[in-house]
Amino acid sequence: MKYLSEYRDPAVALALLGRITQTATRRWVLMEVCGGQTHTIVRQGLDQLLEGAVEMIHGPGCPVCVTPLEQIDKALALAGRPDVIFTSFGDMLRVPGSECDLLQVRSRGGAVRIVYSPLDALDIAAAHPDKEVVFFAVGFETTAPANAMAVWRARQLGIRNFSVLVSHVTVPPAISAVLDAPDNRVQGFLAAGHVCTVMGWTEYEPLARRYRVPIVVTGFEPVDILEGILMAVRQLEEGRSEVENQYARAVTRSGTVPARELVARVFCLVDRAWRGLGVIPRSGLGLREEFAAFDAEVRFGLGSIRVAEPEECRAGDVLRGKIKPPACAAFGTRCTPLHPLGAPMVSSEGACAAYYNYGRYRVAAAEGVAG
Amino acid sequence: MCLGIPGRVVDLRDDRGLAMGVVDFGGVRREVCLAYVAPEVQLGDYVVVHVGFAISRVDEAEARRTFELLKAMSQLEELDWLGEVADRGPA
Ligand code: SF4
Repeated sequence: MKYLSEYRDPAVALALLGRITQTATRRWVLMEVCGGQTHTIVRQGLDQLLEGAVEMIHGPGCPVCVTPLEQIDKALALAGRPDVIFTSFGDMLRVPGSECDLLQVRSRGGAVRIVYSPLDALDIAAAHPDKEVVFFAVGFETTAPANAMAVWRARQLGIRNFSVLVSHVTVPPAISAVLDAPDNRVQGFLAAGHVCTVMGWTEYEPLARRYRVPIVVTGFEPVDILEGILMAVRQLEEGRSEVENQYARAVTRSGTVPARELVARVFCLVDRAWRGLGVIPRSGLGLREEFAAFDAEVRFGLGSIRVAEPEECRAGDVLRGKIKPPACAAFGTRCTPLHPLGAPMVSSEGACAAYYNYGRYRVAAAEGVAG
Repeated sequence: MCLGIPGRVVDLRDDRGLAMGVVDFGGVRREVCLAYVAPEVQLGDYVVVHVGFAISRVDEAEARRTFELLKAMSQLEELDWLGEVADRGPA
């Protein structure tokens, strides 16, 4: 348990906590769909402070965690090729594939390079015309504009030895998938502020109407999160189901329009598999037909790689909120951040790693499957 | 992974038709693509940067507050990668 004195604004946090507890006439179940928020909630013990008023379920909000094993294995297959320089954001390197991870491929002599921006991968391609340079394009809507630009630029500059292994996912279809599950317990959502910086929140409006759930666009500071929770709880108590914006200082309703436009020109909606959740229709971004030349799956004929998720890992139950991480038998024993079995233990934004790093080894009695 | 890092634009340039610039993140400087916030963005403005791209403009107070918080949360890995990439040099 964290102490309120560690907050930058302990008085504000305390006041918000008090208002949430006073407002809630019953225990509401909310889900955050943002790895940054999960990190803050577990680190600051917000969920423990709220116990009784609100249960927080940590949703599929970490892109590293939802990238399916199949895509990791495709990345590993590409990275092992002698003609390929494989480029990726740093946090994908330790995600376990079926047999190894990208770091291990690198230690065996594979050319795997960490880049900060996808444009850096494009520079590497320009500097090595004799090699195929592949970039691992993962992420939510926040990352899509950068990856769209890399492909757009490659075509514009005529860089032909560049391609992307795309594993992009989008948040709204994941929210639908959570709500469509027959055993769903989630009654309201905190949407990720930085994702909405790009996309705005117009896509959430039909969801809030159709499923009658409050969705609050929320920042990731403790005080932001508490304020977002209070707004969601008020809606639930008053029987409203609207999209509200807690993060007005950084997010507008229509987002960053030029970024949305380029994403729509380069990518189109495709069915995509999410780790632990299975295939969700029209939940991912794939390259449009006219950019097929930059699609690593097409270029290297990767379509045949099909793998199942390891049975022991309960990532799907964690991401859907059916169990909290310590309820997984492998948690903290066979599965630790140093030796992760599943993706939610790899990234510091994953629920399993957050629970492990902040010493949450036991499941509170009130949490768990029963609703 | 989706958290953007705020910083101040300290240089603007055009790279073969693409708006680029240099952004200062509490002392660490980095090349950033400014295409999505151009043409409004000006020298001295604060922008939120994610994987090398400015995705929105913010005011100075919000930029400072977010940066300090990210530091406190040790969520500035993106900046660490800069160090990692620089240290290792070409693989
Ligand atoms: S603790 Fe490890 S094995 Fe269990 S669900 Fe989390 S990542 Fe999977």
